[in-house]
Amino acid sequence: MPPKTRSANPRLSARPGGSAVAGGKSVDHVIVALPKGRLLAEAMPLLKRAGIVVEQGWDSPDTRAMRFSTNRPDVSVILVRSFDVATFVAFGAAHLGVSGDDVLMEFDYSEVYAPVDLGIGRCRLSVAEPTDMVAGDDPARWSHIRVATKYPNLTQRHFAARGVEAECIKLNGAVELAPGLGLSRRIVDLVSSGATLRAHKLVEVEHIADVTARLIVNRTALKTYPTVIGGWIERIRAAADAA
Amino acid sequence: MPAASWLLPAGLADILPPDAAFEAATVERLMAVFAARGYRRVKPPLLEYEDTLLAGPGAAMTGMTFRLMDPVSRRMMGLRADMTLQVARIAASRLRNAPRPLRLSYAGQVLRVKGSALHPERQLGQCGVELIGSDAPEADAEAIVLAAEAVGAVGLADVTIDLTMPALVPAIAAGLGLSAEATTALVAALDRKDVTRVDRIAGSRAPVFRALLRASGPAKPALARLASIDLPEGTRAELARLRDVASRVGAGRPRLALTIDPAEHRGFEYHTGVSFTLYARRARAELGRGGRYVSTMGEPSTGFTLYTDTLLRALVAPKPERVLFVPRGTPAATARRFRAEGWFTVAGLEAVDNVRAEARRLFCTHALIGKSVKPVGRGR
Repeated sequence: MPPKTRSANPRLSARPGGSAVAGGKSVDHVIVALPKGRLLAEAMPLLKRAGIVVEQGWDSPDTRAMRFSTNRPDVSVILVRSFDVATFVAFGAAHLGVSGDDVLMEFDYSEVYAPVDLGIGRCRLSVAEPTDMVAGDDPARWSHIRVATKYPNLTQRHFAARGVEAECIKLNGAVELAPGLGLSRRIVDLVSSGATLRAHKLVEVEHIADVTARLIVNRTALKTYPTVIGGWIERIRAAADAA
Repeated sequence: MPAASWLLPAGLADILPPDAAFEAATVERLMAVFAARGYRRVKPPLLEYEDTLLAGPGAAMTGMTFRLMDPVSRRMMGLRADMTLQVARIAASRLRNAPRPLRLSYAGQVLRVKGSALHPERQLGQCGVELIGSDAPEADAEAIVLAAEAVGAVGLADVTIDLTMPALVPAIAAGLGLSAEATTALVAALDRKDVTRVDRIAGSRAPVFRALLRASGPAKPALARLASIDLPEGTRAELARLRDVASRVGAGRPRLALTIDPAEHRGFEYHTGVSFTLYARRARAELGRGGRYVSTMGEPSTGFTLYTDTLLRALVAPKPERVLFVPRGTPAATARRFRAEGWFTVAGLEAVDNVRAEARRLFCTHALIGKSVKPVGRGR
C-alpha cells in the first residue's frame, strides 16, 4: 500500500465503536475539503479573503501530499477528487468543502448543506448528441435511451421525470468520445464554452441545470458547533460576496 | 462450509458479543427513563396488513416497506419500516378509551427495503415515546426534555437539540401566494440551505426565506432574529409557539445546547408543529427526531424516535469488571454464592493445568484459585 492511501490524521481514521465527526470531541480543528483540478485555483483566493492561506506547495505538480496546514492552526485543508468532496463532507470526515452543484445533485446527500454560492466554476449541465443526428431526432418519441455520463443518478432522474428510461453508462472522463465510438449516442456532461463539444461534432440539445461551486457543510458539524462552523460560513460568504 | 455461504443480504449483520448485550442493556436503560416519566410500553407486531400500515401518514414509508403475501388471508402484508405509526394506530384503536393524555413507549427493530449512503443498514433499532391527546406546549417540552434526558442517561452528555417548525415554510409560502409546485421545490432548496436556488424559485418573495435561513443557529439569537422578520399574518402564532416551547425546554434543562432551524423540513413530512432533531458531537449522524403531529383519529400528539444503532456507534461498551473463571470441580454452591454477590461465573468443563491462562483465554477477569479470587489480567 502506498502511504498516501493512509489517513494523515489519526482523528480521521475510524475508531473502534465510534464513527466520530472529524475532529473528534471538539472542533478544535476544522477540516476543509477542496477539489483537485480546475476549481482549485479559483477557490484558493476566495479562501484567502476569508482568512485561510494554505501552506506552500499545494499547487506543485509533483506533490504527493493530500493534507495541508494553513496559516490558522485550527484549520487544515485536504485535496481530493472533485466527486469525493461531497462524500468526505457527507460522512463528516471533513466539516466544510467546496463542491460543484453538479456533484451535489448527483449524490443528493441529506447530510450536506450548500449555504453559499461561491460564484466560481460557472458552467452548465447539458444533454448533447452528434450534430448529424439532431435533425432526425424527435425526443417526444423516446421511451428508452442510452447515455454516457459521469452523472448516472442525475441523468436517470432527469429523464425519468419526463417518462423516459435512461440507461446510463458511467464514465469517469472523456465522455465526449462516447458517441463517436458508438458507446452511446447521447451524453450528459458539463459544458462551459462548448468548444470540446464542437471538436467532437456534438451539439447541446437540452439544458439540465446551471452549475456553480458551493461551499458545503456537514449537517451534524453545523448543528453541534453552530458558532464555530457558522462563523466560517459567514466569513466565506462575505469573501464570495466581495468578489 | 464455504465462507461465501456466510454472506448475509446487503444491509444486514450479525451482532456479536459484547455488542449485542450492550445494545439490549442500552435499550432497557432508555426504556427505564421513559417508564420513570409515566410512559408505558406497547409491543406492536412486526407485520401488519399493508393498507393499515401505510394508511395516512404511513404513505411516506411506502417506498421503504418490505411486503409479503399472507398465505392465510391472501392479503398483502407490510413489514414495519417505522414504529411511530403503529403506536399511533394502537392509541387510536385498542386504546381509544384509555384516558388522555396517553403516554406510550416502544422499542423494536424495523426493516427497510433500502439503506441510505450514510446508513446502509436495512435493519434498524428504534426506541421512543408517543404523547397522545394533548396540544399543550408543556407536552412539546416534555418530549424534548425527555429525549435529551434519555440520551444523557446512556452516556451521551453533549447533545444538541435542533428545534424546527416544519409547517412554517409551507404556511409562509401559502401566505405569499406561491404555488404548490413552487413550494415543494422551495422546501427542497431550503433543506439544502441553498440560497441561490431559493432566490431562483421564490423571486421577489425570496427575502423572507433568506431571512429564515440566516435566523438559524443557537436558540437565543435565532429567536431574536426570527422576531424581526416580517412574516405573513397567520404564521406568527407558530412562531410564538416555538418561542414558548424553547423557553420551557431551556427552563427544564438549562445546560442543554438548543439551536433553532426554522427552515428545516426533510424527514418531517407528517409533522404539524414544533419538531426536533437530536445531535451529539460524538455521533456523525442524528441520534433521533420527533415532533408534533395529528394522529389518524385527529388527536394532537407529539413524540420522538431514537435510532439505537446510531446511538450505540457513539458509545463505547464498558468492559465487564467481574467475570470469574470457576475451575472444574468447584462446588456448585460456591459458584452460586459468587453469582449472588454480583459476579458472572464461567465454569471450566475440563481440568486444565494453568487455570489463570484458561481464565484469560475465555475472557474472564478473575479466576478462582484454591479458595481465593485472583485477577488474571485482561484477555482480549
